[in-house]
Amino acid sequence: MPPSADPEEVGGDRRRLIGLIAGAVVAALIVVLLVVGLLNRGTSTTIDDALETGSRPPAPALTLPVLVSGPGLPPVGRDASLSDLKGKVVVLNLWASWCEPCKEESPVLEKLWRANRSRGVVVLGVDIQDLSSDARAFIREYGLTYPSLRDGTDEAKSALEATGVPETYIIDRAGRVALHVAGPVSSPAQLQAPLDQVLAGK
Amino acid sequence: MRPRITAAIAVLFAVLALATPALSLTVNEVAREVRCPTCNTPLDVSNSPAADRMKIFIADRIAKGDDKQEIIDALVVEFGRGVLATPPKSGFDLLAWIVPIVLVVGGLAAIPFVTRAWARRRQDTAPAPEIAPDDAARLDEELRRRDA
Repeated sequence: MPPSADPEEVGGDRRRLIGLIAGAVVAALIVVLLVVGLLNRGTSTTIDDALETGSRPPAPALTLPVLVSGPGLPPVGRDASLSDLKGKVVVLNLWASWCEPCKEESPVLEKLWRANRSRGVVVLGVDIQDLSSDARAFIREYGLTYPSLRDGTDEAKSALEATGVPETYIIDRAGRVALHVAGPVSSPAQLQAPLDQVLAGK
Repeated sequence: MRPRITAAIAVLFAVLALATPALSLTVNEVAREVRCPTCNTPLDVSNSPAADRMKIFIADRIAKGDDKQEIIDALVVEFGRGVLATPPKSGFDLLAWIVPIVLVVGGLAAIPFVTRAWARRRQDTAPAPEIAPDDAARLDEELRRRDA
């Protein structure tokens, strides 16, 4: 009998082939998981990249519960969307009660809000990685009157490609990001000039 | 005699029970079930400002008399299911528990088959020993004598 017709030999070959395929599939799955893990690990920088080239990327669609309500926003506890504020210029600030620089920054944002609210500007805080009771205590302690949303699941942080707190974004009337400041805003003047430009439609 | 032994055992148990009173719920017992949102490590080994606030939150809830599950549920309300240190044992997350067990059991079950296949392959590929001409002649001779 020729060796190729040996059924035991054919069975062994098939088993070996199945084993090889199974091994290759498992190895490919592990590689895919590693790649996905690595890609998700780093923060992407598409917003900063676009701003650097002079274009304004669209602000992400965010829907988060209201912590402190304000003009154009639903009452406390209900969900608000960034699109609710379309037509207004939004100064969006990511903050947390435990964040030391936020303590210096919040009075600056309060001043900016009081000076510009009649011009169609909304300063909008987004409290992240924080306990809501702590967030409310912070707002009371610093006498903040501008509205705030609450992000318990890092939705806003990842959509806005932020690396920490505080970070601030100016979003124009068309819902596009015009400026990104990573780190605290140290004086109202730091944001007033770009805010005036955006208000002027530039 | 027997009642005395029973009484002695009862006293022993009572003393042991007094010596090791049941500890009340500690912050770390809850903290190891959740993760710190800023550092992505279990809360009991995290030291970030956010983690410290969460530990204070847990301590306050323990003082109010909440049990472990009630505190974990409150943290899930605050931070979503992503705050849990281990995936829940239900729904799609159940896969995270089943897949490793299936892989280990499957791997163990495959060992006898694989080793048998390896052993067979080694047998198949072992070269036939060469017989020197003298030995071949002697073998022929012995076989002929045996047949005769």
